[in-house]
Amino acid sequence: MTAKLVKTEAVVEGRTEVRWTLVEEDDTPEFEDGAPTRPVGEPTPRISARARTTGSARYTVDVALPGLLEAVVLRSPHANARVTSLDLDAARAVPGVRCVLGPGEGPEHAGSPLTDAPAFAGAAIAVVAADTPDAAEAGVAALAPEYEVLGFVSTIDDGFEKQDFLEEPTEHVRGDPDAALSAAEVTVEASYAVPAQLHNSLEPHAAVADWREDGLTVWSSTQAIFDARSTIADAFGLEPDQVRIICEFMGGGFGSKFGVGPQGLLAAELSRRARRPVRLVNSRREENLAAGFRTPAKMDYTIGASRDGRLEAVEATAMIGMGTGGWPFPVLEPVKSVYACPNLRLMTAPVRMNLGPSAAFRAPGVMEGTFGFEQALDELAEKVGIDPIEIRRLNHTENDPESGKPYTSKGLLKAYERAAELAGWEGRDGLRGDGRVRRGMGVASQYWWGAGGPPAYAEVRIGKSARPTVTVGLQDLGTGTMTACAVIASERLGIPAGEITVHAGDTSRIGHGPASGGSMTLASIAPAVRMAAHSVRTDILGLAADMFEIAASDLTLEDGEIRSVDGTLREPVTEVTGKLGNAWISGSGSRGPNPDGMNVNTFGCQIAQIAVDTGTGAVTVERVVAVHDIGRVVNPMGARSQVMGGVLQAIGFALMEERVVDPTTGTVVNAGLEDYKVPTIADVPEVVCEFVGDPDPHLRMGVKGLGEPPIIPTAAAIGNALAHALGVRLREAPYTPRRVLEALGA
Amino acid sequence: MQVRLTINGQPHELDVAPHRSLADVLRTDLAMTGTKVACAEGTCGSCTVLLDGRAVLSCLTFASACDSSKVATVEGSTPLLERLRDAFTAHDGFQCGFCTPGQLMSAVALLQRTPRPSRAEIRTAMAGNLCRCGAYEGIEQAVAAAAEAG
Repeated sequence: MTAKLVKTEAVVEGRTEVRWTLVEEDDTPEFEDGAPTRPVGEPTPRISARARTTGSARYTVDVALPGLLEAVVLRSPHANARVTSLDLDAARAVPGVRCVLGPGEGPEHAGSPLTDAPAFAGAAIAVVAADTPDAAEAGVAALAPEYEVLGFVSTIDDGFEKQDFLEEPTEHVRGDPDAALSAAEVTVEASYAVPAQLHNSLEPHAAVADWREDGLTVWSSTQAIFDARSTIADAFGLEPDQVRIICEFMGGGFGSKFGVGPQGLLAAELSRRARRPVRLVNSRREENLAAGFRTPAKMDYTIGASRDGRLEAVEATAMIGMGTGGWPFPVLEPVKSVYACPNLRLMTAPVRMNLGPSAAFRAPGVMEGTFGFEQALDELAEKVGIDPIEIRRLNHTENDPESGKPYTSKGLLKAYERAAELAGWEGRDGLRGDGRVRRGMGVASQYWWGAGGPPAYAEVRIGKSARPTVTVGLQDLGTGTMTACAVIASERLGIPAGEITVHAGDTSRIGHGPASGGSMTLASIAPAVRMAAHSVRTDILGLAADMFEIAASDLTLEDGEIRSVDGTLREPVTEVTGKLGNAWISGSGSRGPNPDGMNVNTFGCQIAQIAVDTGTGAVTVERVVAVHDIGRVVNPMGARSQVMGGVLQAIGFALMEERVVDPTTGTVVNAGLEDYKVPTIADVPEVVCEFVGDPDPHLRMGVKGLGEPPIIPTAAAIGNALAHALGVRLREAPYTPRRVLEALGA
Repeated sequence: MQVRLTINGQPHELDVAPHRSLADVLRTDLAMTGTKVACAEGTCGSCTVLLDGRAVLSCLTFASACDSSKVATVEGSTPLLERLRDAFTAHDGFQCGFCTPGQLMSAVALLQRTPRPSRAEIRTAMAGNLCRCGAYEGIEQAVAAAAEAG
């Protein structure tokens, strides 16, 4: 097979990256209309289920090597300070302590993760590695730090007042917003605010590093093993192939675990110095102080529209509370991309605050911005007297409103129609009631990327026993990508997914696979796996053709058998593979580029039905209808689980989750799970989930991504449902009983 | 301190410092890493094990206080645990799986106590086990299905 280098554009969470990638010619036939695709499109349980339910699944925090040292970090208790005294030698003298790193120390070729000028409570100052966690804790205690405490900024308003920005504020203009706004027949002004949401992946950020003469191995709880590898290699001046990153099982990430993190850099440096393997695991509180958060934001919208509800102009401002790091997520993307609107002015100000660095959190920026804009749009609908779904249809766009490019596919109108039907939208006004408990129903649209793209490589092997393996250079953070890979290979090989082993999470096995993020993982790897499996299929059928003297084109693989199309031949596939001895048949596949000149996006619509107790202020989400266009659905069972997870995290965001910062000290007061509320099993509503289901005609296999889409519209739909129920609009999430009662004037 | 424990039916004699948690001893001294620690302060339920048949948070339980006790962890094998494993698999009662050991042990405790729980009883009994991936629907269905299959 010939390979070539191609230049390709990929959109990663709103940022366009141009890459050169090596792709092979792909002659895998596409699915034919109406032809069976099984098991693609049929529910398949996770292939890792046994490992996950017996406790044998090994996560990074479980990795224990002979001679393992445990590392503990000293973190600043102050929001902003200078370390005036630190006794590194006293820590080194503690029995069992093997290595101590202080401010400024770390890998030779990277900035130190340790500082003597901590700019947030939780900033890392020093790290101690010792024989036991107790000895490491004793070492940290012996550091006896003293601080000069400085002033701090803990709110977006204070940061803006000081004009302290992490990056320069940006302005994006389309058309002539000033003229269009002053000419508009109707205008609506609306403001919304959202808090910082904390990821709380149950497996904390963690790394185990083992520095040896012949190379460095790092077990890392990471969403991107290859990014982790390049970060480590660069930091230590190693060649990438001298570094091996392993992530066998991963306990969630939700965007906060790209790369190797300070844990990986510190564990590796400690291991290099101590010549022993080192484990560094965040505590829950460290996790919630220093491992990232969804950025809080304040959003203001001025919408100009025609009397019949057509958008003429939007001016929008987003102030984003960045903390001390991260990048400004596209909070105003929904204004820019969801509806047709000829005139825009979008201003974004990323404010620095004395809080930890922010990190991507499932649909970063877009979920917050959807919360604001989709509610502002409902305010417009109310003002012009149009049904909320109707105003969305009215402003629908068939082309990307910014570039004018067509979409590869867009099932949004179908999603509106189906969601309205499933939710009983027409009868929504009859829900409200006039007693103590009021009900409401609200809608919101979803827009995200999710094309995937190269580079992504897969290898499929089959040996004597006909139990295939699929090897991919990605990691499965819990989304079910590995199971989906088995499903895809199964379709080509005619061998049940449950009999296919998928190897992932190890940079030493195969070339680059996608990061688990941006809803790009499966959309990237799926065509590569299918191509590799098709190559193996072709070889098996070629051997069978010689063996049974039937043309390969008249043979097929099904249910573990080689069958002739006319039904005369049915032989187990081991009739062929059994002759392989110690050899195997292997096939490789790679992901080709996406079509030029077109935008690849996912779309959807959710409708939430809520009940609000006007006596207590408690809001209960009763039902969520979720209809998304993600192209072809590979595994409906895994897909439904993704939707459930997204919806539930959004319910947390809408009703209960909020990082609370003490304004007098600048420290986070709810960094533990006792006070930071996340949804439990008792908060789960009925969820009706469907997919538009049309394969994307311009993508190999027709698969788009799903990780982000389900979290995006839920909170906005809940907000709109609450306004529908109460006739009052709440402007700040989360919608706690206190805020509901205040809004009711109670 | 000398501590005798029967873990999943196997006797163990251990010498542990009095302040160490049962979770730590299971994971470190016995390399039984199926039991997970996600918060280490008794708020998430990931570390749930059975102590003499009762669901406890092993991160808040001193190993030294468990002398002569029977401990059941996710690594064990009983007909009920196997039924729950099958049901969690069939109903996709997990995503990342990190909370799964604790979910399974809470479910074992529930079904031993209440073999035919109502939906509300399942929700109450399992509400102390957080799942950040949001696999609760599958968990609830799995516990109900395992009860029915029993």
